Amino acid sequence: MKLYLAFILLLPLMGGIFNALLGRTLPRRVGEVVACGVIWSAFACAVLAFAGFNGPVRVEFGSWLAAFEFQAPIALYLDQLSLSLTLMITFVCGLIHLYSVGYMQDDPAHARYFALLNIFVFAMLVLVLAENLPLLYLGWEGVGFCSYALIGFWYTEEQNATAGRKAFITTRIGDTAFGIAIVWMYQLSGSVSITHLNTMGTLIPAAVVTTLGLLLLAGASGKSAQLPLSVWLPDAMAGPTPVSAQIHAATMVTAGVYLLARMFPLIGGSGTVRAAIALTGGITAFYAATCACCQRDLKRILAYSTISQIGYMVLGVGAGALTGAAFHLLTHAFFKALLFLGAGCAITALHHRQDIFRMGGLRAKLPAVYWPFLAGALCLAGFPLTGGFFSKDAILAGVAAQGGPLYGGLLLLGLITAFLTSFYTFRMVFVVFHGEQKNPLPPGGGGLGRGGSDNSAANILHPPPHPLPSREGEHLELPKIMTLALVPLALLGLCGGMLNLPSYLGHQGILDGFLGSIPGFGGGEKASQGGEIVLQIVAAILSLTGLGLAWFRYTGSRRAEALAREEAGLPGAGFLLNGWRLDNLYGALIINPFKYVARFFWKQGDEAGIDGALDGLARFIARLGGLPAGWCTGRVATSLFGLAGGVCVVLAYLVWVTLP
Amino acid sequence: MEQTLFYILAGVAVIGTILAITEKHPVHAILYLVTSLFSIAVIFYLLMAPLVAAFEVILYAGAIMVLFLFVIMMLDLGHPEKGVSPHWREWLPALALVGVSAACLAIVIVARHGSTASPAAASLPIREVARHLFQDHGLAVELISLQLLFALVGALYLGRQK
Amino acid sequence: MIVPLEHILLLDGLLFFLGMGGLLAWRANLIMMLVCIEVMLNAVMLAFVGGSARWGSADGQLFAIFIMALTSAEVSLALAMVVYLHRRRKTVDTDQFSEMKG
Repeated sequence: MKLYLAFILLLPLMGGIFNALLGRTLPRRVGEVVACGVIWSAFACAVLAFAGFNGPVRVEFGSWLAAFEFQAPIALYLDQLSLSLTLMITFVCGLIHLYSVGYMQDDPAHARYFALLNIFVFAMLVLVLAENLPLLYLGWEGVGFCSYALIGFWYTEEQNATAGRKAFITTRIGDTAFGIAIVWMYQLSGSVSITHLNTMGTLIPAAVVTTLGLLLLAGASGKSAQLPLSVWLPDAMAGPTPVSAQIHAATMVTAGVYLLARMFPLIGGSGTVRAAIALTGGITAFYAATCACCQRDLKRILAYSTISQIGYMVLGVGAGALTGAAFHLLTHAFFKALLFLGAGCAITALHHRQDIFRMGGLRAKLPAVYWPFLAGALCLAGFPLTGGFFSKDAILAGVAAQGGPLYGGLLLLGLITAFLTSFYTFRMVFVVFHGEQKNPLPPGGGGLGRGGSDNSAANILHPPPHPLPSREGEHLELPKIMTLALVPLALLGLCGGMLNLPSYLGHQGILDGFLGSIPGFGGGEKASQGGEIVLQIVAAILSLTGLGLAWFRYTGSRRAEALAREEAGLPGAGFLLNGWRLDNLYGALIINPFKYVARFFWKQGDEAGIDGALDGLARFIARLGGLPAGWCTGRVATSLFGLAGGVCVVLAYLVWVTLP
Repeated sequence: MEQTLFYILAGVAVIGTILAITEKHPVHAILYLVTSLFSIAVIFYLLMAPLVAAFEVILYAGAIMVLFLFVIMMLDLGHPEKGVSPHWREWLPALALVGVSAACLAIVIVARHGSTASPAAASLPIREVARHLFQDHGLAVELISLQLLFALVGALYLGRQK
Repeated sequence: MIVPLEHILLLDGLLFFLGMGGLLAWRANLIMMLVCIEVMLNAVMLAFVGGSARWGSADGQLFAIFIMALTSAEVSLALAMVVYLHRRRKTVDTDQFSEMKG
């Protein structure tokens, strides 16, 4: 087991280092094979570890940080949760690596790309497997860094680099809170071991637990793009599409959910924290769903849907339905990766155009993309009997089981969100894949038609600076590997429900049984079977309604009219398009005052105060020096006056000493 | 009698000097200065220094002033009588400095000594002076003679026609 | 001693500062500056001779003679310089010669 774990971690790290050091000198194919090979080998190790798994194990490799009482060894903890996440991460990331080989085939910076991608997987695995919080934090920051570097991968475009910085700075706010929480927990308990801390829940005062929980929630909000730190994720779509799939859909953004689930035995003891988590998740889910309804950039729709789905997971954690949250995490990873990869195919085929209003009719042209994409969309929309349906329903059932006005309201919100999700998902599917393509590519290639309704510069991302042949109206041949990578994800997404079928079907779900033994996961009241069936029926009806509404609006004869209206700008669409204008709000509340203060200190403090004082002193000294320098005229008369003045002074001194 | 003569000569010397330094024509200035030097020579004599008085007349009033006159005439300064004397603005700072200095000096002299008459010292015969000069100050005489030689060489070099 | 030493000193102080005043004022004419220097040197000689008479020492007279020798060397060199400068610049205004400006 120790060997497996070591290989799971070291292989991606070695691959990353190999690509970083040698990738540029070796042939492209070697780097690609190494990058994919290490991930799949790590997956194989994870499968072997799964096969040999018989209870949680703690493996220690050596000392990392040790000073006085403080001990943070390189220790890994493999239990059911981290094992299932490791399997998911290595598998999904392996597929995405394969897909990247096709997607990045024209990009010259492949070595940097694969190195970062591998190191990202390493950091994510460290995060998941870490036994103590400092090690978890190492992975946490590692994924943050890789995310920053990959969002700004095409850094020559100012906008991409800005998106990277925005992601980095926004998540840093949450990371700071998380860091404070770690130090505080150490100060309280003298240990940073997760397993140890989770047993401390009853010994720590309730108010402190609440504060710790809120700090961890802030950290999770930053990483998982929950309100109010959600603004970075839509902009993060500036990176290459596989990066969006890997980082911003399947793995990294779920780190916050993982952290909350992992620490739940400690922080779940506080009702306030649970309510705050649930509230954050529920509102974020609703917020992002409304925003997604009006987006016109394909990847931004998916980004908002990601925020929304992670909101569901956080809601599930808040409601104590940890198994449901983990279940949704897994299925979401499959179908969201699938959707992103499918979107990447469509975007590549359309010469890196991302505006859905310029797409259409791709069903006939790209059937190999359409069918997997449709499967992913069905999962996302919670179409009955797909994986997304069951997992989302598990969360909603957990919320319903909590009862009370707060959770009742959140359940309602979740149901509305489910309806909205279904609507925007199929809006996307129908607009992109059905109907006819409107407005073929304008001359010049790559230019994005911009509607008049939006004023946010980042709403439609610019195409990356790809050396693409700009052939009018002709679709690119997609590399075979890109479409093939979709198939296993589609199957897993559709059949993900098998992982944890509801208990009313006769026996306990697989995941329920597997995860149930982890502390905290067994908790959460179970809804009655009847209630759960009712809830599933309601959710199915809502999902179908949303689908029907989208069908009604975006297909057939009404399609053109609806698109034209939306392009002209519906009332309130600008508000939703810009994500409830959160960016503007933060700009007005934080950034502008900060800029003003910074400018004040720069102009008044630094330039006027410090520089001014120094310059003034220098000018004063120079002028002081100029006084005697003025006497240095080179004229005889001046020297003589000096001489006479000296005589005068000497005589005056004599008078001074002579007179009593 | 000698006292009266001293004060008269002092007056002549001061007036001659004032006229010399305010005269805009250099030749006139030299002549005023010669007058002043003559009266100072007589004061030297009155102060029992006949040798210095004789040198004063021969060297100063004779050789040096004639040298001045030679140079002035040699230089061809145009019309010296149209030359400008210093403007009052140039005199003002000079007079201010000099006035303060002179006042200070006068205060120091008067405060230190009072104006009591000093006892007369015995006069020094020229033989005694010469003995002092060559016995006690032989090195100085040599240095002075070297200095004169250097001045001669320097003047020859500077005055050489190209 | 015919008059008190102080009177002699006052006289030569007066002459000395007259010479200095002329020196400061006559910046436009190098020859007049030299004349003023002669006045100042004379005043100093007078002080030496007065001291010699007061204390009956030959040293004062000897220094007067040294000063005279020094003056003749100085004047000959200075006048040679005046001739040289006038030949080069056609002027004896000292303000015109400021090449030594730092």
